[in-house]
Amino acid sequence: MARRLTRRTVLRGVGGIGVALPILECMLDSRGEALAADGGEIPCRYGLVFAGQALGGDNWAKDASRVAGMNFTEEGHFIAPPEAGTGWTMTTPLEPLALLRDDFSIVSNMKIPYNATNTDGSAVPEGGAYRDFHGGGCSPLLSGTRSTAPSFTCNGITSDQVIAQMHAGATPFGSLVYRAQPSWYLSGSSYSGRQYISYTGGGEPVEAQVSPQVAYMSLFGNFQPDNEDDIAILDFTLRSRRSVLDLITAKRERVLGEVGAADRIRLERHFDELRDLEERIAAISPEGGSCEVPPDPGTDPAIGGDNAGAGSGSIEENTGWSDETTRANVLADIIHMAFACDLTRVATLQLTVFQSHMNVFVPSSDMGIPIKADLHEVGHNGDVDNRGQICVSTMLEWHIQFYARLLQKLKDTPEGAGTLLDHSAIVFTAEAGHGRQLNDAASENQTHSVEQMVMLVGGRAGGLNPGQHIITAEAHPVQALISAMQAAGYPGDTLGEVAGTIPELFT
Amino acid sequence: MSCWIRPCYAGFWVYASVSASLLLGGCYEGPGDAGQQSGTDTDADTAGGTAGSSGGEPMEPAPENAELIPESMARRLSVAELDNTIRDLLGDDTEPASQFLSEEEYTPFDNTYALQTPSQALVEQLEVMARDVSERLVADPTRLAQLIPCEPTGADDAACFRTFIEDFGRRALRRPLTAEEVEAYMTLQAYATEDNAVVDNDFDTAVGLVVQTVLQDPEFLYRIEVGTPTDEDGIYKLDDFEIATRLSYLLLGSTPDQQLLADADAGMLGDPQTRVQVIERLLQDERAKDQLHRYHAMWLGYRGIPHEATLIEAFNQETAALIDRVIFEDQGSYMELFTSTQTYVDDYLAQHYEMPLPPGGEGWVTYDDPNRAGILSHGSVLAAFSKFTDTSPTQRGILIRNRLQCLDIPQPPPDIDTDNPPASNNPDACKEERYAEHTQIASCDGCHSMMDPIGMGLENYDMAGKFREYDDGRPECIISGEGELPGSGAFSGPRELADKLIASGELEACVVQQYLTFALGRQLVEGEEEILNLVLTDFADDGYGFAAMMTTYTGDELFGFRKEPQTGGE
Repeated sequence: MARRLTRRTVLRGVGGIGVALPILECMLDSRGEALAADGGEIPCRYGLVFAGQALGGDNWAKDASRVAGMNFTEEGHFIAPPEAGTGWTMTTPLEPLALLRDDFSIVSNMKIPYNATNTDGSAVPEGGAYRDFHGGGCSPLLSGTRSTAPSFTCNGITSDQVIAQMHAGATPFGSLVYRAQPSWYLSGSSYSGRQYISYTGGGEPVEAQVSPQVAYMSLFGNFQPDNEDDIAILDFTLRSRRSVLDLITAKRERVLGEVGAADRIRLERHFDELRDLEERIAAISPEGGSCEVPPDPGTDPAIGGDNAGAGSGSIEENTGWSDETTRANVLADIIHMAFACDLTRVATLQLTVFQSHMNVFVPSSDMGIPIKADLHEVGHNGDVDNRGQICVSTMLEWHIQFYARLLQKLKDTPEGAGTLLDHSAIVFTAEAGHGRQLNDAASENQTHSVEQMVMLVGGRAGGLNPGQHIITAEAHPVQALISAMQAAGYPGDTLGEVAGTIPELFT
Repeated sequence: MSCWIRPCYAGFWVYASVSASLLLGGCYEGPGDAGQQSGTDTDADTAGGTAGSSGGEPMEPAPENAELIPESMARRLSVAELDNTIRDLLGDDTEPASQFLSEEEYTPFDNTYALQTPSQALVEQLEVMARDVSERLVADPTRLAQLIPCEPTGADDAACFRTFIEDFGRRALRRPLTAEEVEAYMTLQAYATEDNAVVDNDFDTAVGLVVQTVLQDPEFLYRIEVGTPTDEDGIYKLDDFEIATRLSYLLLGSTPDQQLLADADAGMLGDPQTRVQVIERLLQDERAKDQLHRYHAMWLGYRGIPHEATLIEAFNQETAALIDRVIFEDQGSYMELFTSTQTYVDDYLAQHYEMPLPPGGEGWVTYDDPNRAGILSHGSVLAAFSKFTDTSPTQRGILIRNRLQCLDIPQPPPDIDTDNPPASNNPDACKEERYAEHTQIASCDGCHSMMDPIGMGLENYDMAGKFREYDDGRPECIISGEGELPGSGAFSGPRELADKLIASGELEACVVQQYLTFALGRQLVEGEEEILNLVLTDFADDGYGFAAMMTTYTGDELFGFRKEPQTGGE
């Protein structure tokens, strides 16, 4: 049951520190308004939703598919429709956005530059991709900074953290960094960096929160209820939690004084995080007309075991799957309400990791095509009977439903004279496009491709004019990110080594 | 920190020249791997030839061979260690850390301290976990009674609360608390005695808060080692409690028990002679077996395998039985793990393998397949490193080469898409033919010749460990099962592969290297060959007894010291 919060809710009796939140002025929306009902300025929000998959299947053209053992040719399944402008035809992956088609734009035919004649790391162009696809694509896609090796590291700061720095100190949470897929699912190897889409620069990733339950508790666990008894109980809990953390942080100087220089760096950081946690417990006094505590998601869905291959046993078993559908729904809802309550202005939601080995049997079955493969394999080969464009698009549609859910909730949330979506710029991106293979720079219709990439840019912050399909002349995908960043108030024109925007997003 | 791989330093390895010639033989060298690792000793000098700082007090003498003390840093309890610790401290077997904390990076071990960076996500997870553990504890009178060593007379029973704090604090922080620390925890009793109309608070409320505090305390979460300075710069002698903690987390994967803390109190751990008795007791503990099961599963990549739960359980039981027999029951050569001609199965698993049923429904059975022997015949290991819903000869080759020979494999060239199995111009090609195409392309063959031939020798065993004559569903594709261990010659099946690995002389060094990687929470680096050599020599001298190796390693005087990292550690 959602609890409505009264305005000016304060944590009475907690001795909490009421933090005055400086609000960064957001650019005016399309109606020329950026004022809340009480005359306060409305901030803009920035979000990035990521899918660890490509837009098409290896060696399958955009109109070619195999479903239930039958090969056929059919248009309308590749994410980008053929028509530019506003009258575009719906495509399979965009179905979840059917009721929101005027609220987001499609930016297609984008390309990350690469050196087609030289695979050496030193030959990678500005903002470009190292030729080994999986690791090579990450840094230029998310940080606009070239990759020079096959490692999953962004070499520059990512768009979300740029925006977070702009709002530093303004909200209880600088940014939310969430991930729905909680396990790598292969025991012979490890994530090795595939679990990060947010970096503060210098190759330093932001660890994502993977537990929806913890995410919920952290954001909404200390909201003020409106019933006296509940207030008293919460007061007791918050005081005791603070006392617990007080006792620990009081040890800081003693412990840091005892340890060697190398340990001090890491322990200092741990104590810093504890101090920040303690401050958040006391200081959150959220406001906002639409701010309410979302339903408690309860215990997280169990984390599934390793991916089950069809070579033995059965992929239909609940392995390689941790109910990412539920996890992603909860995380999207938390981001929505965190925006509504102005707990943060920046969020990333990594639905699946790079090169994801999540078992797609359950979600694809729910969508009508039971594919016995993991997500990575869907792009390459699918299973014997199901492969090609429709299968890839089905899983892309599965990812986009959470993006649609977030947009819809933002749209349904009044703010100022409009809605929360009017003050948001929310981007969806997949890991790859579908075109010439990056590795060999020759094969066509490949998943290992940074060509024909597509991003969705939702919301109306900063003069975004959604509803269009913009077919670019191989713009850098980061230019779509910079556009969204500018819509969210970013004064710059670059991210990493990439400059410029997709101007049509604003016209 | 560059990974320590064999080609890095010629001179130490007998086989370095072999590896070097393989590399020169046309294998692609990608950026960021072997090429960068041929560094000098610049950051490994450390041996600290200089005398310790001159102070007023006489310093502890450093041990004679102090240059063999590896650098170390504070290590955070891994998710598995945290679960074990909470189980042993609080009787809570719900594995709360696995529930709330993010999955570790496995390298292949879950305890690489260089990756243990604190984050907002982590402290949030730990707080929610601590509250969850504490709430469930306070709601469980049986566990509470076991935890609190006295009978509280009421919410304000300060004496009993103090007794609990001293007892639990000592167990959880792995050392006695100072009077100051006890007083600090005592303040939490205010939450027990507070007159609050809406909160049902009592003595146990404060107990729960102490537990919450400890579970989030960096001194609990990290195994911080300080020690006392010695007359050798950067070398510190650990105190008995620090040694107890090192021993317990390495050998048992959990926190020191009461007896071990008492041993530390009695000063038994600093002196290697008395420490050995303690180690022998610890190795009798059932948890020592669990720890080695977990260690092997991470090392050989079968901690999670793609099969249904019943089969996985049967495989794990089979492999655990062999590990226990080799290390604890027979106590002979550890190489028996690879050469054993018997395996432990129940009827279900015997039927799965199509081998003779064990007497009485469960027990040791001698293989009737002459090509099977040891752990490399187990479904657990044969399921690891699979790909594309079938075995991958390449991946199996990587498993053998990386994990059992400790040999590196250079990165594939970037213009090759390694996600796809080898394509073929002939759609009817059998698997062996498709893989053979690797050898036709020079840029592939340089490296694939290091891996594929190994996997080919195991192809008669599918990813569920069953024998097969031909490619799945394709009787026309007869599997030859003929493989080659590069540098050692042809083999067919797990038994011959094991024999080749042992004969090569590489296996035992790699076994030690892997165990040290696990023990240290990091790879050995260039310049640390002698650390490995020391343990390897003892391993050989003891007839390759694994328990003896663990005892010798942890019982060595050097185990009681630490070396401060020279350069910030990361």
